[in-house]
Formats: sequence, structure tokens, C-alpha cells
Amino acid sequence: MTNDRIDLDTLRHGAQLAGFAWSDTELEEIRPQVEAALRMLRTLETVDVGGAEPTTHYRTV
Amino acid sequence: MADLFWAPMTELARMIATKAVSPVEVVRAHLDRIAALDQGLRSFITVCADAAMDAARTAEAAVVAGRPVGPLHGVPYALKDLYDTAGVRTTGGSRIFADRVPAADATVVRRLAEAGAIVLGKLNMVEFAYGPEGLNPHYGHPRNPWDAGTHRMAGGSSSGSGVAVAAGLAPGALGSDTGGSIRIPASLCGITGLKPTYGRVSRSGVLPLAWSMDHVGPMTRTVADSALMLGAIAGYDPADPSTSVLPVPNYLAALTGDLKGLRVGLLRSFFLDGAAPVVRAAVEAAAATLAGAGAVVDEVKLERVDLAGAGSLAVVGAEALAYHAELLRTRAAEYDPDVARRLRVSAFISGLHYVRAQQVRALVRDEVDAALARRDVLLAPSTPIVAPAVGERQATLGDGPADVRTALLRFTRPFNFSGHPACAVPCGFTEGGLPIGMQLVGRPFDEATVLRAADAFQRLTDFHTRRPVV
Repeated sequence: MTNDRIDLDTLRHGAQLAGFAWSDTELEEIRPQVEAALRMLRTLETVDVGGAEPTTHYRTV
Repeated sequence: MADLFWAPMTELARMIATKAVSPVEVVRAHLDRIAALDQGLRSFITVCADAAMDAARTAEAAVVAGRPVGPLHGVPYALKDLYDTAGVRTTGGSRIFADRVPAADATVVRRLAEAGAIVLGKLNMVEFAYGPEGLNPHYGHPRNPWDAGTHRMAGGSSSGSGVAVAAGLAPGALGSDTGGSIRIPASLCGITGLKPTYGRVSRSGVLPLAWSMDHVGPMTRTVADSALMLGAIAGYDPADPSTSVLPVPNYLAALTGDLKGLRVGLLRSFFLDGAAPVVRAAVEAAAATLAGAGAVVDEVKLERVDLAGAGSLAVVGAEALAYHAELLRTRAAEYDPDVARRLRVSAFISGLHYVRAQQVRALVRDEVDAALARRDVLLAPSTPIVAPAVGERQATLGDGPADVRTALLRFTRPFNFSGHPACAVPCGFTEGGLPIGMQLVGRPFDEATVLRAADAFQRLTDFHTRRPVV
């Protein structure tokens, strides 16, 4: 899923992998938002994170 | 006594403790105002009138008997309807939980009760806190009280909290903030809202949106009232392992009004540059006000802060879907369609996205820490725009057009991502009378300095004293 356009088969497959059985109508409805979200998420892949460890909390003292 | 419903919580607490006013009068004044106005404002989902009056009579008896009382004894408040309340339904703003009645109070509800506070009711919100506009199709869209002619957004997700406090239906409220849900309605409704440091306040008994981004905090008309509420709810809770064991300072005592030498970093790039001109001008004027009172203001840039949008999308989306997956499989039709769509989109966030977002999160956190290494607080607008009309989709920002949802979240979610404390206060009004908000961001667990700066600003200005006509 590296291109901006996502076809219905890919959406079906992605939803199935996540454990959801959504109708084609439901998938078509979210297609623009999925495409926009993936475009946005790809910006994370361009960041040089070096050796940064994933942080889930600020810091607990 | 006239206008008890406009009195700050600190003043109500003082008057009740000195027997100048009875908790019964105070609670009744607020319940009467709710009854008179909330049909139009839609800020409450459940009003606890009988229980509040019973609690007020008990509180009155304690004062009359001379028994020791807590710092919020007899003072009413209301809470976003995602805090568990024993015996009172907690809907999360959803039809799905319309009949969900918890057996126990959330930790913060219990702590406020121990401090003597009285619950007026449960407040409207975006369904499951998943959205910044403040709308709710199930319980009615809360109405921003600052425009009688146009139905404007209150901002969310703690929209009922913003409306109730701004309109004098409650002197204070609890909100929650995952991407700005305390500070956005505070900004759009012209009130004060504090998002404490992640780990400062327990989330136990609070319906989650995203565990690692959710923050619990007060929404009030004055900074002093937020300090009072924070003092009651902050501190370690064994039921929430993310809470800190750091001692809780006396936040009210920190409000000295002194700004001399306070180092303020004004966030221009991304923040001021991205704000609508009227917002930018108000925040620049606020910076000048702080400088005029002795603060040392310089400009600072956060290079990576724009990544907080994508990072938050990954983290909030993945965590929210994890909580909702089963309900989404079995009861999707009962969700607000907008919320259901957001959750469905989250199914396409990968494990790689989530972990990469957490790595970026570490970088953003370190960058904010670095900016605060030589400064006490950072200053930025809370939102780039003032309250949009319900139905408005596009906004014009300082650096171009944006959809309203993205615009509302833009300046607040970086500090959910980083976990730093941030306090939103009103800093101006448009010519049309809509509030403008700014936020002061501080070092981790240094809410005292953030509150001191915000309170000092309120001592120098009168924006927080203006009232909407409702």
C-alpha cells in the first residue's frame, strides 16, 4: 500500500487482515480517508529516527 | 445572593466555609440555571439534581456543625460523561452505553468527593471523545454560548464541559484531552482549561480514547479554580500505573502573580504563522502583556512539531480501534457515522506505523524538552481559528486553507504527543465577540509554573471575566 490510490480489493484484504468484514459500500465510503491517512502516515517513514526507542509515555517518575 | 452561578470555585469555597452562603443555595442556583438554559445549550446528558441537593444539605449540615471540611466543600462541578460515577450512567456520549451504570467512581471523582465537591451532572461530549468539533448527534450538538444568532461549535471533545462552564451552568468541570479536547473547547468557549502532564492525574475509571495520549484535567473560568481542582485530583494512584509518585505541590500557593524574569518562548513558526490573523494578533499582544510585566520573551522554533499530526493519527487511531474493535464488529450501526468512519480508517494503520510514530514521539518530546531547557514556558495559540459554525468544513489559516477538524487539532496535539502540561486561557475576542485562546506549555510535572504564568496573565487582563449573553 505505497501508492495514493487504493483499490477495493486492497481495502477488502486490509479489513479482513484486521478482522473486519465490511461491505463494499462501507469500504468505498472510507476509501478517500484511508488514502489520505496513508499519505500522512508515510511522512513518518521519511523521518530519520536514528536510534530513538519507541516512547509510549512521557516519563513516569 | 445574586449571580452565585458566576462566582469562581475559590470564592464559593471561601463563602461556604465561612457560612456566608449555604451549599444548598449554591447548588440550587446552578440547578435552576441548568433547568432554564440547557434545553437550548445541550451541555448536559444527565443532570443529578436530587443527588446534588441531598449532597448540598449534607454539606450544609457539616458546616453548621463545625466539622472539618475539604478545600472544595459544598462546591458544585460537572463532569464529562466518560468518568465513571457509581450508580449514575456513564454513556461516553454514545447510545451504545446509554444504560451503562458503573459500580464505582473514577479515582478523580472519588478524590473530588473527598475534597467536598458536589456533582451537578454528566456533560455532553463527542461520542467516545473521538473528534474536535464538539458535536453529538445522539444527545444533541452542544451550542457555543458566545453567538446567539448562529449555532457555532463549542469544540471538543469536551464540548459540554466548555459550554456549561462558559454559560455559568457549572463553575468548573472535568474534561479529558487526547488531542486537545480540553484546550480546544476552552479556546472556543472562552474559558480556562488545563491538560496536566501525562502521569500527573489518574485515568482509572475514565473511558479511554487512546491510553497513551489521554489526559485528565479541569476546565474552569479562572486559572485559580483550575489550580484548586488540580490539587484535589493530582497524584499517584495504584489503579493507574502510569501515574507519578512525585509529590503534589500546593498549586494555589504557586499563584503569586509574579512574572519578573519568567522566560517565555513564543512559538512563531507553525503556530503563530499558522494562525488566522486575528488569533495571531491576540497572542502577540498577550506576549507583549507578559513582557510588560517583567517576563523575558524570545522566539523559539520546534522543527519536528509538524510530525505530531501523523504521529497522533497512528497512535490515537490504533489505540482507539483496539478499544472499539469488538463493538465495531457487533454494533457499528449505533455509532455516530463520523466516529465509525474514523475507527474503520484506523484498521489500515500498520504495526510499523504505530512503532514509527512512537519513535517520532520520542524525538518530538526531546525537542520540546530542549526548548524548555532555557525557558520556563512556551506560548502559542490554542487553536488557529475561533469557533466555526456547525457545518463549516473549511478554515483559512495563516499558511493556507485546511479542513476545520485538522485546523482545530493542529496546535494542541503536539503536547499530547509529547506529554507536556499545557494551560489554555482566553486572550482576546474577535470584533464579532468570539473568544480567542492561547496556551502556555511547561516542563513535565511543572504545572505550578504554567499555572503561575496563566494566572498572572489573568490578573493583567479581563478576558476571563467576560460573560456570554445566554
